[in-house]
Amino acid sequence: MTTRELTVGVGAGELATADMVLNIGPQHPATHGVLRLRVTLDGERISRAEPIVGYMHRGAEKLFEVRDYRQIMVLANRHDWLSAFSSEVGLALTVERMLGMEVPVRATWTRTLLSELNRVLNHLMFLGSYPLELGAITPIFYSFREREELQTVMEEISGGRMHYMFNRVGGLREDIPAGWLQRVQAAIDGVRARMPELESLLVGNEILQARTRGVGVLTAEAVASYGVSGPIARASGLDVDLRRDQPYLAYDELFAPGGPGRVVTRQAGDCLARLEVLLEQTHVGLDLAQACVERLLAMPAGPVNLKLPKVLKVPEGSDYVATENPLGFNGYYLVSRGDKTPWRLALRSASFNNVAVLAELLPGNLLADMVAILGSMFFVVGDIDK
Amino acid sequence: MTDQDKKGFVPGLLKGMGTTARAMTRHAHTQEYPDVSPQLPPRSRGVIALEESNCTSCMLCARECPDWCIYIDSHKETVPPTTEGGRERKENVLDRFAIDFSLCMYCGICIEVCPFDALFWSPEFEYAETDIRDLLHEKDRLGQWMATVPAPPALDQGAPVDQPEPTESAPSEPQPAQAPDEDPAP
Amino acid sequence: MTTDLPLPRVGPAQVAAPKPMRLVLNWGRRYSLWVFNFGLACCAIEFIAASMARHDFIRLGVIPFAPGPRQADLMVVSGTVTDKMAPAIRRLYDQMPEPKYVISFGACSNSGGPYWDSYCVTKGVDQLIPVDVYVPGCPPRPEALLQGILTLQDRIASERPSHASLREKLGPYAGRRASAAEVSRPLVAPPEAGT
Repeated sequence: MTTRELTVGVGAGELATADMVLNIGPQHPATHGVLRLRVTLDGERISRAEPIVGYMHRGAEKLFEVRDYRQIMVLANRHDWLSAFSSEVGLALTVERMLGMEVPVRATWTRTLLSELNRVLNHLMFLGSYPLELGAITPIFYSFREREELQTVMEEISGGRMHYMFNRVGGLREDIPAGWLQRVQAAIDGVRARMPELESLLVGNEILQARTRGVGVLTAEAVASYGVSGPIARASGLDVDLRRDQPYLAYDELFAPGGPGRVVTRQAGDCLARLEVLLEQTHVGLDLAQACVERLLAMPAGPVNLKLPKVLKVPEGSDYVATENPLGFNGYYLVSRGDKTPWRLALRSASFNNVAVLAELLPGNLLADMVAILGSMFFVVGDIDK
Repeated sequence: MTDQDKKGFVPGLLKGMGTTARAMTRHAHTQEYPDVSPQLPPRSRGVIALEESNCTSCMLCARECPDWCIYIDSHKETVPPTTEGGRERKENVLDRFAIDFSLCMYCGICIEVCPFDALFWSPEFEYAETDIRDLLHEKDRLGQWMATVPAPPALDQGAPVDQPEPTESAPSEPQPAQAPDEDPAP
Repeated sequence: MTTDLPLPRVGPAQVAAPKPMRLVLNWGRRYSLWVFNFGLACCAIEFIAASMARHDFIRLGVIPFAPGPRQADLMVVSGTVTDKMAPAIRRLYDQMPEPKYVISFGACSNSGGPYWDSYCVTKGVDQLIPVDVYVPGCPPRPEALLQGILTLQDRIASERPSHASLREKLGPYAGRRASAAEVSRPLVAPPEAGT
């Protein structure tokens, strides 16, 4: 940049070397949600990029402090609206661990099933919206058809299409409706049968491959230094998955050798690798959900929740529980002073770190590739800003 | 999907046309909403219905609501003794029960904590308003929703049989008669 | 409207239009609502679901392809409006041409919803812009949005544009401290990087 000089300028002299600052967002059709990027351009090339967060900051952590543990559950699923169930589970696990509560085995398996269905729902959303950002309209229609199928069964058990509010401290709110497991099975089979159509539109599409292969390569070092997690980290070759490495719910059994669980990784670290990880994780999620359904069908009768005291107080102390949410690590740091409400409940959300790495990832790329890279970071704005 | 690379232009085109032709023969899965009302599961959280006769204005729902959007006013009335020489009883009379659906988070905590089964979910969702004040449903309107409340679904065979509703505390438990005397602040 | 901007005017032909003419005009308006999705949070996903094949609001004449606010008739505010976002919402609303309509979709944009006691959330988008239809839910089902659209279409059908109706709708927002200068104030600058 320093050596480049233009001599054709009239009047003002070297007019072409001035950098251009471009604000993208907060409301922009090419970004989902209200993330704002301040991009400094040198011609077509990005020389500096700065994600500006906070347009969706709702102060949830402060609100946690004046609500009891059941009420917090309502807010806890709303920071990452695409993985509501996983966020609920994380909080319930934190509180249960501090209380030393043993959750009934049937509840644990149902939670695992719902978490995996939620993961598939989340991934399907991104599998649809990412091509949309690249200019392909069709895949989102396919992915939303599958989402509707799965949302129907989720609604049948929990009553909600997005915010399930189905976890309670000590288990689940209600038992499984009769015949629901068979309908889940049918929905899983249906989604599985139709997945190849969606798949061929994504990784089978040479235009999409051309726009994503080798674009936005995220190195494993950057992943480690920024604390990136989830499918994005695994696409850069980082073999980390809390479901296997730090099992919670019923994952120790599912990820045991010979089980259906496996950690999907790619080495390339480009946008295509990230998409491929997401796609394959969708299949793994369906496999895990299937295993949970089979397990639940074979399980003896038992409760799905524990009887709680009228006033639930968490003993004094602190604990941190991290779960593998669809987008990455989601952790709750709970500090209790023995009250009905937490003294402090801090939230570690996946998207915040995943988006922070954009400052490192975007410089050097062309502006035209920015949307491809941005979309492949699979973030939810509420998860960034909390 | 690597075999895709080997295909030429014409086979790819034919394959695409084939997909289109197949899709043409299938029914669209569009639900014609205003003409066909959707089939909603009984647990679907659409609107909260109030069975007024069951409510003892114990304020539990109003206190447990995560954003405190339930408004209850009540007063005490003295009921004369039913039998000669009996004691007269004090009874709560519900003056106002209102839910602000512009604030409601549809979490179901109020329904869960209600010890007397006065609140129910109804899957109805058609109550968009042009004035935000109309989203505050008073007890008459909440009572009208009762007609739309479906029966709860049968439970899976894995559910324990002795407790039909495990989450709810049984109504026989010592509860709310004196609850309104407590500080209603959450 | 911002104080510095004049209230929009209704042309004399529009005011004097006889009833049959008005019916036709309103009929045209209600079935070609180019929608601008102000997607902010969870509700935006349900908005997208409503635009997809299962619910498909194009059947109702709502067209989700408006390239920007300047080409849109209907703005659907779906999600939590934060104070940081508020100037942008107002600015985009001011860019829309009359006649314009707003649907507030979901509890957060109706009144702040779950975040009504938060320090940084606007308690309802109707503090910034006039709202025509409020759709309750958290998030509302896609069908609820469709019903909200039907409600709005009924309202448009009975509409009679005049100076008085415009003033009634926009007047309360004109005298507010949301002046043109404030609405167009630069967005809050980020802190300087430490390095």
